[in-house]
Amino acid sequence: MAGKRINRTKNKVSPTKRPAAAPPERKTRRGAAPSKNGDGQEHAAETDDATDDVAHAESNGEAPAAPKRRATAQSMAAKQRDISVSEFFAKNRHLLGFDNPRKALLTTVKEAVDNSLDACEEAGILPEIWVHIEATGNDRFKVGVQDSGPGILKKQIPLIFGKLLYGSKFHRLRQSRGQQGIGISAAGMYGVQTTGKPVKIISKVGANKPAHYYEIQIDTKKNEPQILNGRGEGVDIPPGKKGADAIAKHGIEWEDQPHGTRVTIELQAKFVRGRGSVDEYLEQTAIANPHVALHYKDPDGNTRDYPRSADKLPPEPKEIKPHPYGVELGRLIALLHDNPNVTVAQFLTSTFSRVSGQVARKICNTAKISTRSSTRRIGRKEADSLFQAIQATRIASPATDCISPIGEELILKGLHQVVPGEFYAAATRPPAVYRGNPFQIEVGLAYGGQAAMQYVTKELLRELIEETDARTIRQFLVHTFNGLGSDAADRILKESQLGTRQSPSGLKPKDVEKLLAAMKGVNVSEGQTMEVLRYANRVPLQFSPASCAITQTVIGTNWRSYGLSQSRGGLPKGPVTVMVHVASVWVPFTSESKEAIASYPEIQKELRLALQAVGRHLGTYVRRRLKVKQQSDRRQVFLRYLGEVATAVSEINAVDRDSLYEQLLSVAKKRTSDADMKLDERGRPIEESELELGKNVLIVDPTEAPAAINRATVATDSEVV
Amino acid sequence: MSKKLIRRKRGAVAEAKAVAATLTPRDKKTMGSIVGLADGVVNAAEKRKDPHVDIPSRTLSNVRYSPRKRILEMGNSTNRRQLFDLAQAKAYMRTMLVASGCKKLLTQGKTTSLRGMYYMLKRTIRDTKENTFDDQSECDTIIEDVEVLLASLREELHLYADKRGEMVGNIVITDKGDEIDCSRMGSGGYAIPSIVEPEVIQLDSKKCEAKFVLHVEKGTVWQRFNEDKFWKKHNCILTHGAGQPPRGVRRMLFRLHNELKLPIYCVLDNDPWGYYIYSVIKQGSINLAFESQRMAIPDVRYLGLRSRDFERCQLSDSVQIALNETDRKRAKQIAGYPWFAKKREWQREIEKMLKNDFKLEVESLISKDISYVTEEYVPVRLAEQDWLD
Repeated sequence: MAGKRINRTKNKVSPTKRPAAAPPERKTRRGAAPSKNGDGQEHAAETDDATDDVAHAESNGEAPAAPKRRATAQSMAAKQRDISVSEFFAKNRHLLGFDNPRKALLTTVKEAVDNSLDACEEAGILPEIWVHIEATGNDRFKVGVQDSGPGILKKQIPLIFGKLLYGSKFHRLRQSRGQQGIGISAAGMYGVQTTGKPVKIISKVGANKPAHYYEIQIDTKKNEPQILNGRGEGVDIPPGKKGADAIAKHGIEWEDQPHGTRVTIELQAKFVRGRGSVDEYLEQTAIANPHVALHYKDPDGNTRDYPRSADKLPPEPKEIKPHPYGVELGRLIALLHDNPNVTVAQFLTSTFSRVSGQVARKICNTAKISTRSSTRRIGRKEADSLFQAIQATRIASPATDCISPIGEELILKGLHQVVPGEFYAAATRPPAVYRGNPFQIEVGLAYGGQAAMQYVTKELLRELIEETDARTIRQFLVHTFNGLGSDAADRILKESQLGTRQSPSGLKPKDVEKLLAAMKGVNVSEGQTMEVLRYANRVPLQFSPASCAITQTVIGTNWRSYGLSQSRGGLPKGPVTVMVHVASVWVPFTSESKEAIASYPEIQKELRLALQAVGRHLGTYVRRRLKVKQQSDRRQVFLRYLGEVATAVSEINAVDRDSLYEQLLSVAKKRTSDADMKLDERGRPIEESELELGKNVLIVDPTEAPAAINRATVATDSEVV
Repeated sequence: MSKKLIRRKRGAVAEAKAVAATLTPRDKKTMGSIVGLADGVVNAAEKRKDPHVDIPSRTLSNVRYSPRKRILEMGNSTNRRQLFDLAQAKAYMRTMLVASGCKKLLTQGKTTSLRGMYYMLKRTIRDTKENTFDDQSECDTIIEDVEVLLASLREELHLYADKRGEMVGNIVITDKGDEIDCSRMGSGGYAIPSIVEPEVIQLDSKKCEAKFVLHVEKGTVWQRFNEDKFWKKHNCILTHGAGQPPRGVRRMLFRLHNELKLPIYCVLDNDPWGYYIYSVIKQGSINLAFESQRMAIPDVRYLGLRSRDFERCQLSDSVQIALNETDRKRAKQIAGYPWFAKKREWQREIEKMLKNDFKLEVESLISKDISYVTEEYVPVRLAEQDWLD
């Protein structure tokens, strides 16, 4: 990903022509742009108007035999000028994920949250993040994101938030989230462009230090920050009571924390729910980052809290040197240029990982280059033979300890916290290597999403109805029972024969009973397909599922043998959620937009093995459950008729009906004893005693899953610590 | 659980008896087998075993033709019905329900129809949405099961089917104490009740002048004979069974034949269905093989119609009804029955019908003359003793 960022940096200059209105002193003669920049050029060219295109074609001598020239080289040169990166991205905001108002909102939140998480983890602070979206009318939204991070030094604040391509994550070969584009400054720029409101930043580095407050907007011409408040110097808010008063007085939004940063951006956007939404992003982030506490308030005023389920930060990922197998020829040449005046052997051993003196010698021998020749002497031809030699030489796989996986335990915790279910399994594969890049696959699975709703008691339902402030029953169902879609809610309402628009407070006890019966009766998982949550380095991938290696491998896995139904070439059916995490120092995305992972055979193989590992656990559980269910169904059948038989017999020969019933019942129990199994003897739940699934599995009572039922009042106070 | 708890309350039984109408010796026997069935359940439950009943199977494979008695008899094979079997649990429950329903009828000294029994027992099982019975046919088969299971007849269980079939002729019978003169029935007839046991209907040879019984297939044909006062002219009894005769009619024919020594002649359609009606009257039905002994009349004669009657009576082509595939199949099946297999005349008869490839109804004779069948056809057959055995 670092490489892609470089590409964009170089894009500062682009072969685009500007109208003649440009000041003449700014015209520059440029050399040919590097071919690598083709991507940027194309996009830039698209924005040009038609006449410029014609002029361009002519200057390349491609014009047909038209005798009359329209412009001279001189007059054209007057139009050629430098453009700033911010100008470029201001025009091409779709490159940064601001193609439409809906995505703009998501990208803004995403950039801010990812930055916050990276900062907290780098500083070694357990992240706590507040996300606050507020509608300000006219399709405008105010997005505020605050973290409990280390804070930012005063002089750095304007640069970080007011200058594109300013940061620390460019050149490192290290597992990090920093793959999301240009960053928070682009979001700020989008906000300024669409609403004219500046970006507001407040940051504090310690409890007794003053908080710095800035209102910034980006100068797109110069790619420089413009500070609007405090006469261009920003404002310092002293700590303690006085500062709190000042904050209150100026209407600055700030959760009182000893340190941290809050950024507020107002932008034109559209708030939606469902696929590709902010809700989805935060939920998925909470699953893959169980060490993060998230507080989210949406424009409708609903709050959702994702409490922290792990109190330990993930281990810090290590930076590694590139592996020779993963280096392309162009990169090799560039690296040779960067390291002049060393011998080739030295260059190889010091630049790459896993290249010992012996291996370096072998490579040089194969390439027919002396180990002692200077890198300065290596021309294009020698570099090529060196490159071929590297591919032909056996080199050990790179060290894989540079990857920091989430871990099975935390995946289970994260999933359990967010996805309702009754069965959870996780698998972390050992690290593997594709094209010289270490990577690691992790898979988590949650099964039985809607179970909670089916086990809800009448008392609980009544309480929930009293607590809710939803206006309609439909809304109440969707908001209260996580994982229940509006589709299933509609089916429940139809079954219960209650009106869709009826308010929950107006329900009579009889209606509540009807609703309860419908909730138990309707098979909400009917027609439901597996939900696949994709992650790359802990960041959720929300778009282009079909072209992603993860989805393809999930579809390619045979889930039928694990107790799920699946049609050919489709996702399996059932109340299942699968999360797949690809951690790597270099995640191979299919495109610039970084929405899907490329299908390398090595990655697909590891994906498959990990999916099969959780699949086997699921299969054992599902089959077991099915057997228990069948047995209890059997007993149900008998029980249904026993009463009638006992009554009939006692009517005939006048035996005591109840004692005969008891006796028949005990025979029935004996016949269907599998249904209770060892539960009575050992007093432990069936699953734990009977299923030996190993450590990486979690089975819960579906009613007690924290994610199952959303209780607005209780959750905020008791669960957030 | 001890035996003490489950012991039958003798007092309760005595009480029930006190309320009940007096039981006839026959009712007492039936009651005994019903109680025995219930006791079996109690015993099994006490021993922690699966309660089950063995029901004699009512299929062709379990039916045997006895050449000596010339009737169908039921074999020994049984089907076991268990309570603790998923597929049979419901049927078992229903069996017990029917038994309890019959017990109730017995103690109260009342009878009911099959449909009445269905309504007596139909209810929703507690705590479910399931009914004990959804359809009368479900109840009817269970009643037949209980009949064979208890080796009791339907009337012994105080159940009766719809009454079908009529009777007219020179005979006076006693039905529940009322004397019925079957020669004074006007244009109608005496509807044969479904229970014609001696407790209900008494026959007396002194009050019977008729010399034989003519049984016709349908009411329409019977109406023709009655209107022409055939029974008066030929001094006989005229019956019909509205198609396949119900048990009441069969039992009545049986008693007329055995108690009053009257020969029985049948006039049925010339088709496989007619042949089968004859077969049921003569040998008994497969489904009710257990009742053959008291219903089958091996000496009954088949008077007509015959396959050759088309030519013999010079009927017009328009009365032919073409055989369909089911008819042909059924005819071959009937020809293969052991009680027909060895009768060359019958084999020829069926062969001829198949060769004709059409069937004839009794009414087809009307095409000759309205009263052809009563004035010509039947008298000639009787005079010539032209019948099939």
